[in-house]
Amino acid sequence: MTMNRRNFLQAGGAVAAAGGVATMIGCASVGGGRGPKVVIVGGGYGGATAAKYIKMWGPTIDVTLIERNTSFISCPISNLVLGGSQTMADITVSYDVLQRKYGIKIVRGDAIAVDVEKKVVRMAAGDAIAYDRVILSPGIDFMYEALPGLNNAAAQERYFHAWKAGPQTVALRRQLEAMPDGGVYAIAIPEAPYRCPPGPYERACQVAAYFKKSKPKSKVLILDANMDVTSKAGLFKKAWAEMYPGIVEYRGSSKLLDVDTATSTAKLEFGDVKADVLNALPPMKAGSIANPFITANKRWCEVNWLTYEAKNVPGVHLLGDALQIAPAMPKSAHMANNHGKTCAAAVVALLTGEQPNQSPTLNNTCYSFLSADRVVHVASIHKYDEKDKTMKTVPGSGGVSSAASELEAQYAMAWAKNIWADALG
Amino acid sequence: MNKKAIVLASTLLMTCGLVTIAYAQASAAPAPVAPGGPAFAPSNLTPNGVRSMAATCAACHGTNGVSVGGAIGGLAGLNKDYFVIQMRHFREGKRDATLMHQISKGYSDAETIALAEFFAAQKR
Repeated sequence: MTMNRRNFLQAGGAVAAAGGVATMIGCASVGGGRGPKVVIVGGGYGGATAAKYIKMWGPTIDVTLIERNTSFISCPISNLVLGGSQTMADITVSYDVLQRKYGIKIVRGDAIAVDVEKKVVRMAAGDAIAYDRVILSPGIDFMYEALPGLNNAAAQERYFHAWKAGPQTVALRRQLEAMPDGGVYAIAIPEAPYRCPPGPYERACQVAAYFKKSKPKSKVLILDANMDVTSKAGLFKKAWAEMYPGIVEYRGSSKLLDVDTATSTAKLEFGDVKADVLNALPPMKAGSIANPFITANKRWCEVNWLTYEAKNVPGVHLLGDALQIAPAMPKSAHMANNHGKTCAAAVVALLTGEQPNQSPTLNNTCYSFLSADRVVHVASIHKYDEKDKTMKTVPGSGGVSSAASELEAQYAMAWAKNIWADALG
Repeated sequence: MNKKAIVLASTLLMTCGLVTIAYAQASAAPAPVAPGGPAFAPSNLTPNGVRSMAATCAACHGTNGVSVGGAIGGLAGLNKDYFVIQMRHFREGKRDATLMHQISKGYSDAETIALAEFFAAQKR
């Protein structure tokens, strides 16, 4: 693995543009329309959906979406790029429709802080964007301090998480391609909660599918800090046993403590493991712009589930993976999409002097590809519990697939196309 | 229209009236909550409440029920009674499903009717 930084950045084609366009928006006093101003930070599944739905439901509201990447690149389906059945182009969607069709201002740049006194979002380029209400959908940051050997730039250019789809997805695929047959790919999973509970197990399947076809003597080793598979356990274990016998090995209660980059060794609580390709997922926390609103375990942001306002600062809304989850609520793209809509409705209501919905419903569907064409799902429906002021699953609803199927592969790809269009089209 | 579709359509016509009556009764009272179970807020069936609930369907079925995804059918413009019957059949296991038998159980009878009315009014 000798990819240098320039190649690495060119590989994905989605390089963060540091604030160049942002200066065109100008200072805090400049506003576009006459309506109230909503500024959204982060154009992923939560933020892009919130932006579109605020414009759909409150057309006079002036909506600005701040995003550092030039295009949206989907985490869901990105494991199929590692498996080789999809390309980066397949999972990349433009922000143009949000701008053209809905009149949302897209500001390309890095938002670094929210000034709740002055009601402005501060940009890395030095300018500030004024808001009446701000929505933060910052996704996750990685807690590399938990893995000292990887806590430096040089190590992070060789060891990829690929847990934000983009250049790292391409880089990890190249490592897999470069690995000799007979090698070991290891994925280290942090303790829950982390982004996308079934994602690491799906990734193991995708890499195993690639090995089975192209490098059959190779191994996939799952090092899970959790005691057992955290999502769709029976379905994944069946897939490993029946579809990838002798390729996938699962080890529960195998927390990664550090990485020795000199020998490419994963240091575990009990013993060390050498891997040719080591895909370490560090523990995660809310994206850094949400730091002042982190109230749970120094990692996540608690919100009012009726408005998605931060528990500690009203007027600041938060969405998606950055949230301290309600019981049985996954950190998923689909859930972030639903957060975005509930928040959008609440923001429109608050800006027009109406009471926000006191009875929101959320649902979740997560598909996992066990190969290029066999898929399983987990689904749930969540409603607002007035007494405990949290979201709870509806008894008797939801569940997982009875078995993997090709039919669900069709539905999974249709899900992807529809949710991309729901957020960005 | 093929033979199967004609049979389905006529079955729908025959059962629609009954279904509407059954659901009208069901919607008068809130769903019973088991002791110790969740204390869910009463359904919000105002236009904005239904709009928000319908948006939970959109991630899979497309914004306002207009599907661009191919394999997953759209909901926009569906006949109201057809929607209600299909949801009931999913719930009761009378229609084959990979996932909708699980999702349909998350929405009450009154909510299902409100969703049916919302999607029936959407342009395809």
